[in-house]
Amino acid sequence: MAFLDLSNLQKSFGGNHVVKSFDLGIGQGEFVSLLGPSGCGKTTVLRMVAGFETPSAGAIVIDGQDITTQRPNQRNIGMVFQAYALFPNLTVAQNVGFGLRIQGVAAAEARARVAEMLALIGLPDLGARYPYQLSGGQQQRVALARALAPRPRVLLLDEPLSALDAKIRVSLRAEIREIQQKLGITTIFVTHDQEEALSMSDRVVVMNDGRAEQIGTPFQIYSQPSSRFVANFVGTLNTLTATILDPSAGEVGMAGQALRLSAPIQGAKGSQIALALRPEALHLQGHKGAVLGQITTLPAEVTAVEFMGAVIRLRLQSGGQALALDTFNRFDHAPPMVGDHVAIEFNPRDLIVLAA
Amino acid sequence: MKRFWSWAAFGFGFCYFFLPMVGMVEFSLRMRRGTYSLDAYRSVLGDPQFQATFGYSAVMALLTIVFGVFVVVPTVYWVRLKLPRLRPLIEFITLLPLVIPPIVIVFGYIRLFNTSSLLPMTGSAFGTDVLLMLGYSVLSLPYMYRAVDTGLAAIDISTLTEAAQSLGASWPVILLRVILPNVLVAVLSGAFLTFAIVIGEYVFAALLNRPAFGPFMVWAGGNKAYEPAALAVMTFALTWGCMALIQLVPRLFKHQRAHR
Ligand SMILES: Nc1ncnc2c1ncn2[C@@H]1O[C@H](COP(=O)(O)OP(=O)(O)O)[C@@H](O)[C@H]1O
Ligand SMILES: [Mg+2]
Repeated sequence: MAFLDLSNLQKSFGGNHVVKSFDLGIGQGEFVSLLGPSGCGKTTVLRMVAGFETPSAGAIVIDGQDITTQRPNQRNIGMVFQAYALFPNLTVAQNVGFGLRIQGVAAAEARARVAEMLALIGLPDLGARYPYQLSGGQQQRVALARALAPRPRVLLLDEPLSALDAKIRVSLRAEIREIQQKLGITTIFVTHDQEEALSMSDRVVVMNDGRAEQIGTPFQIYSQPSSRFVANFVGTLNTLTATILDPSAGEVGMAGQALRLSAPIQGAKGSQIALALRPEALHLQGHKGAVLGQITTLPAEVTAVEFMGAVIRLRLQSGGQALALDTFNRFDHAPPMVGDHVAIEFNPRDLIVLAA
Repeated sequence: MKRFWSWAAFGFGFCYFFLPMVGMVEFSLRMRRGTYSLDAYRSVLGDPQFQATFGYSAVMALLTIVFGVFVVVPTVYWVRLKLPRLRPLIEFITLLPLVIPPIVIVFGYIRLFNTSSLLPMTGSAFGTDVLLMLGYSVLSLPYMYRAVDTGLAAIDISTLTEAAQSLGASWPVILLRVILPNVLVAVLSGAFLTFAIVIGEYVFAALLNRPAFGPFMVWAGGNKAYEPAALAVMTFALTWGCMALIQLVPRLFKHQRAHR
């Protein structure tokens, strides 16, 4: 039995079915991200766990205790909001100590805990400041400390980094994960940013239209997407169409070549099948050490070159299909130019078979 | 040319507004023959009836403010949080005291709460005082409601409420420790307006026959020469003092700067 169990959770607003049968079990101390496009119901799931929305159906169980109908102020669940939501009339220390005061923690102990929390978030000297005297990143760290101070059973974060600058977003990401692991607190993190979800989480739940589309480790989600939606949402993807030659041998035909996939496929011989390939699985011919094993080569024309620092993304046109190819920027190789004709290679084993 | 006319219009308005006041101040200083003096003010302040009625009205104003705060803040909060669709209706209701003349309201009270009614509030001095205080609350409602509503609009009450709830706070704790401190400035500006209104109010107090400051001013106006002018100057000063405080108070609350 998982520490936090959501079973058949549903929510409708009027006739609008926003969350449709959501199931998820989270282990103690686990960091799980809900990842999905805006409007897919992530926040609604989180708000049901926090108690701000009442599920239309289903149950929420923490540590064996059914809390589905418990009021939010009795759940002992910490929450961090996108908009920080610090109390503007209280100092940083008073904000962090707010939950302790309500719990009736003795003053001396509360003061010690507040100091401990401020040290944890790396702002030990800012206790006397007011929220308006802090930067966005500092405010969000204080909000995290405030949520953690009463030692909640579960920590919920709803897009906590979305309002911050790109640089702070990345550094705070690592900081949140570090604090979470140090305290071993069970955490649900909501985001629409796949990079955030993949880099921070033990497991990722990709949501689509009120359902969990796929649940897995970041590696599984990225490398073995279970559906076209997941594959498209998590990272850039080239989709290719091929003809099935031999289903049991996993052999397909594309651009006049026979390719062997890593596993047998479903479908009738002669029918079309959708395949996907990550941009980093495609390589320019002649770049050393590019592809191991069986190699498929395709001719292509460069239509755009996007310089992204360490990586260069080439937009290509090959046999009527648009492809993206990522290659490392190397000092000894100038990148191709728009209009160049190149040969590209990949290993057919890297092809991902997409369910329709 | 355009400039000239705008200055001319301003000058006319200024004279229209301030000349009578200058005249009034000047007149209030002329009680002693042949020289300016503060005799009229001394006479007013030394008048025991002035002290009694002013004290009575000041206490009524404070009670009205306290009552108003405890009714208006939770109501506006709840409507904004849970019943936002009712806001136009509530707004309309709070405007009614501006539309319905006080004389109509007070006659309604007297009809409803007279000694032969089910709730004979006018039967005792205390009951009448309560009725008067409730009447004052109604009169100040448009101002109190708007002040508090503006104050609540400046903070994200639903997220702050949820943050407090997730930290274990109950409704009374949320109202007292989160909502009220953050709208205190707005509440105070509503409070000063209420004070100014109640101090000068005449119709309610006169018809309910309570010893308030408004009826005293009217009585003094009919029976004395220089004192009414001094009273008027003092009332103006008081009202303007309240206005000045409304401007001043926000500066005393540092954390509010985040929202301005
Ligand atoms: N209180 C509400 N009343 C009506 N509809 C709502 C309410 N909250 C959310 N919704 C709707 O539910 C859908 C999912 O919202 P949300 O859970 O916030 O999505 P996400 O967080 O994934 O962007 C949206 O279409 C939104 O309009
Ligand atoms: Mg959301």
